Parts: sequence; C-alpha cells; structure tokens
Amino acid sequence: MRGGSALLAGVLVAAWAAVYLITQVLVAPPLGVLPTLASGLVVSTVVVLGYPSALRGPRGGPLGGSAARARSWPPARRPRDPRGMRDGLTIAAAGRSMPLRNGLTPDAARRTAQLIRPLLGGDAIAITDTEQVLAFVGPGSDHHHVGGTLQTRVSRLALGKKRTVVVHARDGIGCPEPGCPLRTAVVAPLAVADRVVGTLKVYRVHDEPAPRVLVDDMASMLSLHLELAEMDRERHLASDAKLDALRAQINPHFLFNILNTIASKSRTDPDESRQLLLRLSDFFRYAVRQDGHFAEFSQEYFFVRTYVSLEQARFGDRLRVRYDLDPQVLTSRVPVLVIQPLVENAIKHGIADSVTGGTVHLRARVDPLTRTTSIRVSDDGAGMAPEVLDRLLAGKRPGTAGPQHSGVGLWNISQRLDSLFGDRYSFDVASTPGKGTTVDLQIPLR
Amino acid sequence: MDDDVDARHTPAEVDATFRTLRRVAVGYFVVFLLGVAAFPVLSLTLDWWSQARLVGGMSPGFLVAAFGLYLFFAVLGIAVSRLTSAVEHRMLDDTRDDGFPVTLEPPGEVP
Repeated sequence: MRGGSALLAGVLVAAWAAVYLITQVLVAPPLGVLPTLASGLVVSTVVVLGYPSALRGPRGGPLGGSAARARSWPPARRPRDPRGMRDGLTIAAAGRSMPLRNGLTPDAARRTAQLIRPLLGGDAIAITDTEQVLAFVGPGSDHHHVGGTLQTRVSRLALGKKRTVVVHARDGIGCPEPGCPLRTAVVAPLAVADRVVGTLKVYRVHDEPAPRVLVDDMASMLSLHLELAEMDRERHLASDAKLDALRAQINPHFLFNILNTIASKSRTDPDESRQLLLRLSDFFRYAVRQDGHFAEFSQEYFFVRTYVSLEQARFGDRLRVRYDLDPQVLTSRVPVLVIQPLVENAIKHGIADSVTGGTVHLRARVDPLTRTTSIRVSDDGAGMAPEVLDRLLAGKRPGTAGPQHSGVGLWNISQRLDSLFGDRYSFDVASTPGKGTTVDLQIPLR
Repeated sequence: MDDDVDARHTPAEVDATFRTLRRVAVGYFVVFLLGVAAFPVLSLTLDWWSQARLVGGMSPGFLVAAFGLYLFFAVLGIAVSRLTSAVEHRMLDDTRDDGFPVTLEPPGEVP
C-alpha cells in the first residue's frame, strides 16, 4: 500500500475510533447503532473527500523513509534458534525475499549468505564476483576477507570452467592459509545469461561436502535473481532513455519561430520581448533540469503555461487556451513531460492549421474515491487522420516520413506510461477530422 | 529600465486561478453550510443529541454549541486560507520548487 493510501486508512480508523468513543463510551446513554453508523459514514465521507484537499508536504519525508525501511530486509529482528536456523524459513521463503534481487553488491551478498547458510548445510558460505570476495560467513572469515581478491584455486577453477566444482580434500581448496579450518567445498558459478558473474561457495569443516544438487539449485535460483536484477536495471535505463528522447525532441522549429517572434517584438515592444525571453529560459530550464520520472502537477502546469504563453506570442488571438483544474490536482505527482507534449500536439496539429484558430482545453481532476488523476487535453482544431489515430491506438510507432512528429511524442508518452504504471493507467485518443482531438489520460493518484 | 521584471500572467492563467479558487470557495461554503445546518437538524430529529450527558453533565448539543462550532469555524477557516494560498502560489508563481527564481542573470553566468 502506498504512503498516501496508508495514511488515509489510518485517518479513517482513527475517525471511526473517535466516533465510537464519543457515541458509545464517553456518553450516557450511548447512541443507537444506526445513528452511530450514520455518523461514522458521514465522518468517513468527509475524510475521503477532503483528504486530497489538504495540500501535502514534500515527499520522501519521515513517513516515506520509514515506509521504505519497513520494506527492507529485516534479518536482525527475526528470532533465531540456537542452531542458527530461522523459524519456519524454507527455500521458497528465502527465494521470495532474496536480497540479490537488487544486484550483486557486497551488502546483498552478505545478507544472502547469512540467509542461505542454514539452508545449504554448510559451515561457511562465500559469495564472490569474478574478482573479489563479496561476502564470507562462517569459520575462516578471519583470513577470507571481504573485499579481498579470490584466494582459493577452486574459485578460479569454477569461474574458468563455468560449472560446479566439488572438492573433497583440504588441498583441493587451495587456500594459502595453513591453519584454514575448511576441509571440503562445493563451488557453483553464478551466471547472468551465458556470462559468469560470480560464485557461490559452500564450505564444510569436515570431510563430507555439502550436497552438490542443493548448491546447484541454490546457485540457479541466485542466478535467476541476478538476471531479474539485470532486467530491472535495463528497464530503468530504457525508461530513462525514453525520457531523454522526449527532452531532446523539443522541436527546433519551435525555437526558430519563437526567436523570430522575439526578434520582431524587440523593437516594437521591448518589455514583452524581455518577458518572452524569460519564459523561453524557463521552458528550457525545466525541460533540461527535470530529474526523475515524476513531478508535482503544479510544476508541469508551470511548464505548460510557459510553453503556451510563448506560442500565444506567435499565434496571437488565434490561439486561445482554457485551463480547468481541480485544487486537489495541483499537489498530485504526475509523470514529467507528459502534459506539455499533449498541449503541443493540440496546438501544432489542431490549431496551427486552422485559419480562425481555436481553443485548447486542459482539464485536470482528482477522483478521491478511485484515487485517480484524470487529465484531458482537447482542442477544436483540425483533428487527426483516422489512419494515424489507428496506428497510435494500436501502440505502433508511426512512420517518420511526413508531418508525424507528434505521433512519436504520443508513442513515447504511451511507452513511458507503460513502464511507469503497467496496466494501471488509461491513455485514450479520440479525434474527429474537422472537429478536433481529445486526449484522455488517467493515472493512479500519487 | 528597471531590471526587476514583474511577473506578468496571461488572462488564461489568471482566469484559471480564479475559477479554481472559486471552486475552493464554493466547496468550503457548502461544508460550512452543512456543518451549521446539521446543528438544528440534529436537535429536531435526535433526542440523544440534547438528552445524553457527555462531559461534565453537558449534552452533545450543548458542547457543540459552546465549543464545537467555534472549533469547526477555526479549522475550516485555516484550511480554506491555507488551501487558497497554496493554490494561488502553485498556479501563478513563476518560481519553481527547485530554487531558481525567474530573473535575468548577468551575461556569461551559466546557472
């Protein structure tokens, strides 16, 4: 449950508790059941409807931090039995909460080694990458230092052969320390696709090595988690690249046009040309400096009206705009650089081609019951050809030939929304040639 | 010419802010109206409202009339003033939250 929803649920519980106290406990005689329920429902309705109106403070504060910490790995708080086996810990449970899901880091490796040590029946567990020891838990940790280079011959053997190596005697391990208590070892490679990225090593201090099948299976599971981590990383990179592409997609024609407008006004109206320069500066600052994938709606609104004011300087009275915003929507978090391209499309392809111009309508609402933010950008301009609309709705990238620059923008937005929200959003485009285009976007309230 | 550039807003921006603030005002007025109207309605329809004893032998209705309504007015007033200020700030201010104000910078100085 997200922080906002958890807070709302907490407030609702507190409200019902207060209603119960006031109507049933502190008062004599207590209020009847039906009036109590009715008053509770009234209070709940007020809380649910009024919650988005309370403009919230900065995100990521103490509440968000504690929520994030609560999701983190909690091994220190889990009760342990004297043998080091956690109560009820199974391989399936360990698999679900594997720290290596975040990548092969020393911290994740240490926590993973602590987690799987009782499962594999080894006395010591080590996890390495291809060059150094990332974690070592158990006897021998005094000289198998974390961060040190790979000392044992068996590790290099497993990395080189890309298969599991079982060592039955102390000499086979190849540890240079004479007093090393480790006698047997099973070393399995950790692989991402065909690439070996490290090893899982299970040592024992007696002559019977750990079961090879068990270590193999665990190494396969860890490899799967590493692959998932790699996929996550690639997904984030792709999402960042899409955002960068949208930033880079600011149409150079827009810049030429606005600079020409400013140049023409600089003699006749220096004050306005100065204002336009400031707005142009704001526009590029926002586009370039915006970090992350989400921003407060009010910041995106600032970006939109900066853009619109620049276009109005060029189009004059032909371009009319009407903003219709809920107060609650101003503090909601929306994906960056999503609304402005929609408005830009409406102006470029709806209004610019029309001799009499037209009106762009930006409407934003928050639905507190379904906890969604709805954004609608519509125009009464030229509309969109059905084939272009069909391609967009089918999720295909339109061709680059012809005046389809806007299609790439919409396609990019659609792809970014996919990666940010999965199937928890809707993005609908409806267009009637000669009557205009309406783009509806519904995203979860953040 | 003065270097300080006054913030200028387009009619559409001011119109949008006005309509959003009007929505806030209407919404809170409705809440105010419902809150005040609830008192006589409860007095007429719910005996418990005037006959039960809550704290210090006072009825819920008496407590609300003596303290609750004033608290309600204060909370409502503070909420609406905070909300309208925040709305105006977010819809008209030209300064973004990341700390760079809109001013002309000296030539050659790159932010």
